[in-house]
Amino acid sequence: MFSYLLLTAWRSLKRNPFLSLLVVVGIALGIGVSTTFVTAVYRLSLHPVPEKEDRLFYVRMDSWNPERPWRDSLPDDPPDQMTWRDALEVTSGDIPTHQTFMYKAELTVHPEDKDMRPFRASTRLCTNDFFALFEVPFQYGGPWSNAADAAAEQVLVLDHATNAKMFGGEDSVGRTLRIEDREFMVAGVMAPWRPIPKYYDTHNNPFEDPEEIFLPILLSESMEINGAGNDSNWKGYERNEYADTLASERIWIQTWVQLDTQRQKDDYAAFLDAYALDQRKMGRFERPLNNWTQETAAWMRDQHIVPAEAKTLLIISLLFLVVCSVNLIGILLGKFLARAPEIGVRRALGASRGTIFMQHLLECEIIAAVGGLAGLGLSVLGLWTIEALFVIDLNFKLDLNMVGAGMLLALVAGLLAGTYPAYRVCRIPPAQYLKAQ
Amino acid sequence: MLEMKSISKVYRTEHVETHALSELTVTVEAGSFVAVMGPSGCGKTTFLNTAGLLDTFDTGTYHLDGQDVSKLKDREMSRIRNEKIGFIFQTFNLIPDLNVFDNVDVPLRYRGMPAGARRQAIQESLDIVGLSSRLKHLPSQLSGGQQQRVAIARALAGTPRLILADEPTGNLDSAMANDIMDLLEKINETGTTVIMVTHDPELANRAHRQIHLLDGRQIDLEMDEPVPLAGDRAATVGE
Repeated sequence: MFSYLLLTAWRSLKRNPFLSLLVVVGIALGIGVSTTFVTAVYRLSLHPVPEKEDRLFYVRMDSWNPERPWRDSLPDDPPDQMTWRDALEVTSGDIPTHQTFMYKAELTVHPEDKDMRPFRASTRLCTNDFFALFEVPFQYGGPWSNAADAAAEQVLVLDHATNAKMFGGEDSVGRTLRIEDREFMVAGVMAPWRPIPKYYDTHNNPFEDPEEIFLPILLSESMEINGAGNDSNWKGYERNEYADTLASERIWIQTWVQLDTQRQKDDYAAFLDAYALDQRKMGRFERPLNNWTQETAAWMRDQHIVPAEAKTLLIISLLFLVVCSVNLIGILLGKFLARAPEIGVRRALGASRGTIFMQHLLECEIIAAVGGLAGLGLSVLGLWTIEALFVIDLNFKLDLNMVGAGMLLALVAGLLAGTYPAYRVCRIPPAQYLKAQ
Repeated sequence: MLEMKSISKVYRTEHVETHALSELTVTVEAGSFVAVMGPSGCGKTTFLNTAGLLDTFDTGTYHLDGQDVSKLKDREMSRIRNEKIGFIFQTFNLIPDLNVFDNVDVPLRYRGMPAGARRQAIQESLDIVGLSSRLKHLPSQLSGGQQQRVAIARALAGTPRLILADEPTGNLDSAMANDIMDLLEKINETGTTVIMVTHDPELANRAHRQIHLLDGRQIDLEMDEPVPLAGDRAATVGE
């Protein structure tokens, strides 16, 4: 029976191709717009390392001004970065499976090739666990060693593009690169890697490329490398020495840990609290105890990775789909009622109201499916346009989930548009049209 | 086969009440051929639609094939229409974009018959009406008589126990009308009950029995009396 209803619905569609096309276009427009924004918000909301969804944590500690919270608008939130000394201390234990503290800087690279001019390279100062923590793929070599971290050795990891630029894409492990006034040995070259958003540090631009060069963070002390990211400070200090900054209450360091078990989570929370209480004895951490190990998804929400405007546009686009569907109700009603005599005949021949309802709903769903496919095509165009407007690769691509979501939306829109006309047409008294046909 | 007792049906609009059937009591024996006659507006079609479960009634009882159908749900009435009743209409009511085969197939599809059985039933019913060579023709490619034959084949395909024909020859010339009547008689001879609405006394005379309606009621007429002509209400009322 289902196949017959499908066949009947298809025949009915072909009978009035212009009206059918009109409805398809209506659905396609609605799906095109809504799927574009659903995909954009979905892409921005995706967990960047799904396999570590509940294991990767951003650490936040409230070392802020005892007189007022870090943000007046968010009085319960601890600051979103840490001081150097706190970050250094809370990553010195062995509770987490992986842990790192880090910041962004800009350093000058002096190429060996005399034809190339020195250039400023975005640089991340971090510990070697950064690469395991965020599952950074390597093309050549690997992260520097623990010993290199501890001794602040002059080693580095290059990103794929910088290796191509400096060494023609060859295996450059063991070769040297001059940064500022020092020679660094290449420990590893990353394979192409571009987390979207750049969740491990969202403070400047969550959609910028990862850094070009990665160095052991303890080099900061000897090289006196200043951060190039956002920072905040509630307590003034004299900046006579670089060490003054490291000892200050300035927050500019990001700290991440990987906690695989509940035991680790509990132990690490206790560890943070114990550290804060210790610091309180020294006159710091005077605010109520408020230390967070925040899951990545929650961290990204706090950082407004999905802009409020995008969410608003998503809602508007879904409303647009609803409006498209509601507009189609009239067209479908006219189309179906014009077929009343045939429906009378079918009812006389044994079709129940339910059968007639189902036949017409199926017709709507066929239209919706075709409109959905066309809408997905429009959505690809829309996503491409958004990326072109932002001039950066946001990886706004339709994946299978989004194709499924788009088709589901289309079918729901078809139901929305078709249910009332199908209901009306199945309630037609058959006798009324049999004589008049 | 069909037993209606005191059936009434009123069509209401804001200002007007029309009594289409008034306390109508009719019994039709299984296997009979009944002609329903009466002037326009006397309730013939309403009677036929009620008999065919296409229309409801306000009061009275109706047993079809021994079953009380007055309180059946739509799905059950649809199943009875599909399995027990075949309809033939004055305007043929073929579905224009379906070919002959597919038109005859419609009721069988709703019955959920397997493809092989459907094919055989369609072939047999088209053989009966002499159109088995026109399977792929669209209704628009057939004459009026042929279209009515297809409609008869469609009504027959599901081997119904009751055929309800609403002026089946009304749109046909006399030669074609005779052919259709021959067919209906042939069908009736196989045991199928036929109830036919007609204005034509000659055709009605070929039935076993005539039911005369006036203002929604059955009236008694001797078979040898002149049958009131269509629209000749005054003559009928005067009796």
